[in-house]
Amino acid sequence: MDVLERQWMNMKWQQSATHLNEDYRLSMFSIPSIQDQQFQGLVESDQGIVELVAQAKKPDLVMENGRNNFCRAENSLNYDSCVYWNGSEFEMNYAIPTTASCPPEVAVANKVKEAALPEKLGSAARRESFKKRKSYKARELKVVAEEQNREKKAKGRVEEEDSKITKQNSNSKRTTTTSNNNKETSADNSKGNSKLSESPKPDYIHVRARRGQATDSHSLAERVRREKISERMKYLQGLVPGCNKITGKARMLDEIINYVQSLQRQVEFLSMKLAAINPSLAFDIENFMVEEMFLASTSSIPTAGVSFDVINPSHIQFNSLQQGVSCYGLEMDVNPPDIMLRRTISSPVLMPEILLESSYLNASISTFSSSGFTEAGNVELEK
Amino acid sequence: MKARTGYSTSLKQEFLKKWIKGIRIYSNFKKDMNILERKKAIKLSADLAIASTRNASTRWSRTLTANISKNETNKIFVEQIFSDSEVIKKEAPSRLMARSNRIASKKIWRRSHITQIKARKMGPYAVKARSIAKKLVKNRTKVLKSLVPGGENMDGISLIKETLDYIVSLRVQVDVMRRLASAAENSTRSL
Repeated sequence: MDVLERQWMNMKWQQSATHLNEDYRLSMFSIPSIQDQQFQGLVESDQGIVELVAQAKKPDLVMENGRNNFCRAENSLNYDSCVYWNGSEFEMNYAIPTTASCPPEVAVANKVKEAALPEKLGSAARRESFKKRKSYKARELKVVAEEQNREKKAKGRVEEEDSKITKQNSNSKRTTTTSNNNKETSADNSKGNSKLSESPKPDYIHVRARRGQATDSHSLAERVRREKISERMKYLQGLVPGCNKITGKARMLDEIINYVQSLQRQVEFLSMKLAAINPSLAFDIENFMVEEMFLASTSSIPTAGVSFDVINPSHIQFNSLQQGVSCYGLEMDVNPPDIMLRRTISSPVLMPEILLESSYLNASISTFSSSGFTEAGNVELEK
Repeated sequence: MKARTGYSTSLKQEFLKKWIKGIRIYSNFKKDMNILERKKAIKLSADLAIASTRNASTRWSRTLTANISKNETNKIFVEQIFSDSEVIKKEAPSRLMARSNRIASKKIWRRSHITQIKARKMGPYAVKARSIAKKLVKNRTKVLKSLVPGGENMDGISLIKETLDYIVSLRVQVDVMRRLASAAENSTRSL
């Protein structure tokens, strides 16, 4: 469906481009009415983002189970190259809850929160970094503890049996463990040094090595990077319409590219259309009306209230003899939830045309009462 | 839900105000433009307006403004609109390129080494499939970088973040433009 829509739009856009030198006005007018629907289909409402919030909230509850499942899954995999998306489900569980709550904020692109978002991610990274530090230290401590246990056992055995072999064994074990220890510490140091050299701030990214995974510092870093990327791809999935079923980076990127391209083309097309419509680039009145419309759309859905808001600016316009533009103020080509809105508003759209012929006030009162907007009618009378 | 729609509405209003302001300045600047010039004016002011809503906090907005200001005539126009210090010059690309080249060469060595190890471990076919997948992703990332303004020197993670922001802004832009266009269309139709 999306592909068809896109192709259709591309065709139409090319047509409009070719028709430009001809009577462009006509062709321009014919296209948008159909394209509005297409655009609505493409330019999704906020439903996807609501779903994403719901999805993001779920993993918090399922964290423990998800983690166990993931560990089991990891054992069956020899390598994790192709697990970009299989892992991502569980990676959501792995992610710290604060980052899980980030997606809707990013999708909405809230200004205030956006400034805080990099901070949040940074703090999450810092927390992750502490974890990794602890994991390294824990491993070291574990090794040291084992070492100490072995030493104790060895001592016990020596005291019991007085065999040099066991002592040698324990010594060799100790040396191997110490060598392991050294290797780990050196790896840790190198990792720490590399991190320090890369970023002046000490925000290490700490990852716990999962079962059956390589504990190499490089692969850990790569895994963190992969997780970050998949997390952000999830946000994008909620934003780009029609991407819920698609798994896999390549196809997701494909969809994203197509979407960005289509949006950019829409901007081009609309700017050309606006240039065609207004020979003088006089956008003052529309500016005012559009602002009123935005204000009206923010109010809640009780229809009477909205119609009240919407009809007021139209009256201001009637006084200033700008009839046609008031149609726009009443027109709401907004999201599906506003369908009820549209029905109530559609009737007043007929009004301005009637008012063009007869005197304004009388006609408006009569049409108001006929259409049943008693509140607006009262306002009109007061005026 | 209400807060979200409230925010996007304020964003749209801000964009609209700046856009109309830009168009007015442009039309005062140059009278009697033909349709192509008008279209260019509209698009320029729209791009500038949507980039300025981010207050130069994102890479794409800075790049967009810088690209527009490259043209001399536009520069005057830009400075007229945005008298406050929102226009930030683009970073010197040479420094970034040098750093990324060094890192890239290290990564190339590491990647070839890893493929050797994996080939020994996994067998040849799996490695090939993986490399094909990576190549696909790489090609598409390249295309995406060309689409998003300022995306050339960014790594994968920040590229996706910029794309997110850019998509949201584009949607706002398209939405407002579409409404304005239908308003203008209706007004001219009924007249």
